[in-house]
Amino acid sequence: MTLDFSAIVPYLHMLFAGAKVTIQASLLSVFFGALLGILVGALRVVPVAPVRAIAASYIYIIRGTPLLIQLFLIYFGLPSLGLNLPAFTAGIIGLSINSSGYVGEIVRGGIEAVPKGQWEASKVLGLSYLKTMRFIILPQAIRNMLPAIGNEFVTLIKESSLLSTLAITELTMVGQQVRSVTYASFETFIVVGIIYLVLTSVTSFSLQYVERKWKVS
Amino acid sequence: MSNNGSETIPSDSAASQSAIEVRRLHKSFGSLSVLRDVSLSVGEGEVVSVIGPSGSGKSTLARCICRLEKINSGEIYLYGKRTDGSSHSNRDIARLVGMIFQQFNLFPHLSVLDNLTLSPIRILGLSRGDAVENAMALLKRVGLEEKRNARPNELSGGQCQRVAIARALAMNPKIMLFDEPTSALDPELVGEVLDVIAGLADSGMTMMIITHEMMFAKEVSDRVLFMADGNIVEQGHPKKIFSCPEVPRTQLFLQRMLVHFGKELTEGDEKEACRHDA
Ligand SMILES: Nc1ncnc2c1ncn2[C@@H]1O[C@H](COP(=O)(O)OP(=O)(O)O)[C@@H](O)[C@H]1O
Ligand SMILES: [Mg+2]
Repeated sequence: MTLDFSAIVPYLHMLFAGAKVTIQASLLSVFFGALLGILVGALRVVPVAPVRAIAASYIYIIRGTPLLIQLFLIYFGLPSLGLNLPAFTAGIIGLSINSSGYVGEIVRGGIEAVPKGQWEASKVLGLSYLKTMRFIILPQAIRNMLPAIGNEFVTLIKESSLLSTLAITELTMVGQQVRSVTYASFETFIVVGIIYLVLTSVTSFSLQYVERKWKVS
Repeated sequence: MSNNGSETIPSDSAASQSAIEVRRLHKSFGSLSVLRDVSLSVGEGEVVSVIGPSGSGKSTLARCICRLEKINSGEIYLYGKRTDGSSHSNRDIARLVGMIFQQFNLFPHLSVLDNLTLSPIRILGLSRGDAVENAMALLKRVGLEEKRNARPNELSGGQCQRVAIARALAMNPKIMLFDEPTSALDPELVGEVLDVIAGLADSGMTMMIITHEMMFAKEVSDRVLFMADGNIVEQGHPKKIFSCPEVPRTQLFLQRMLVHFGKELTEGDEKEACRHDA
């Protein structure tokens, strides 16, 4: 067989629009996922056993079930509780929650890597547990975790393709639409794959650049 | 206050006069009994050095006093306030007692100035302007004004420890505890830190200094405690402890130390002090 990409060219602008939605969804999800993940990670280490157990269960469940099922529960399941969310909103919530499970575990590791002496110095300087966490521990932990959170962003760019199952017109969904019009399946998904690769590569390289800058300063 | 080891348990009125009052303190880690019935009283403005072999419970004693460790039984009073329970906030304790660690424990993500101003602003509620003004005065006192914007990783060990002392003083505590403040330092940096501590002693601060710097302990302290196996085995005026210790355990420890520190520790007119005290 021969590949003929010319059939796709008229639809490239649609694919780019889809890529834009993918980027938006990933950015929003990495943002909310990191916020929620930092909270969960911090709760994961509080000196109150029941709270720790709840945070641990949350992480365990999120990481132990497929993202697709989590998306379905939010988009198709919640309406039975009377909660109808627009597809894009449901998708962002699903991705964010999913991501928070992974970020939570990264944050826990980052917090535990901060030396015990930092807690002790904070305590004798009069800082409460929460203030110690906020001003001393998390700033150090997050700095150590930035590379891992960057990876999480790259992962989200790829995982966001599952949003196509909620009929959100992100890159994968648009790819399916283009294929159904052009019948050029192979060519379409090669192009879609290349666009994903460009997105993840640009993200990785930018993050590495930022990381290097950060280390120097 | 150059009395010997076996003190009677002080009365309540004594507790309200002392800066630090420890009564019948027991502390264990699991089945390991680390402090066994320690009683101790430190007067306002008194400088007490604590010496003794490694593992004898010196750090644990200091950590109990600043409430980094929960105690198993006994009582701790700071300026007459019972502080060993959980009825006081970290803030209340920090206003009474500051602690200096062997490993400095500066906040590496903050500048020197922010290390000093964080607690005064966040805990004492000082304005940023006032906190910075205090901090600069303290940095001047430890000779590090020009390092205000440096990060801890840009400082030498001696500079770090001086910043840590300034940071503790920024909370304006009534008591300062030092847990081997120079043990992590290169030998040539020890002097600058000891100078700062000596200056603090001269200013009338109540201090408890855990140290292996015997010459320093002898010069700076009003009283020396010798600890072994979780007990205060002997205490008294530094001249007496270093020149004519009575308890064999103390004698043995100091003999070993003399190998390191040379004979000057016991030379001079100290034998006079011996005869005088004995
Ligand atoms: N957090 C801890 N958990 C268990 N054992 C400890 C802990 N801290 C200290 N110890 C033990 O308590 C004893 C006294 O320690 P420490 O107070 O540090 O002695 P020193 O400061 O005189 O060297 C040692 O045997 C030490 O191993
Ligand atoms: Mg120690």
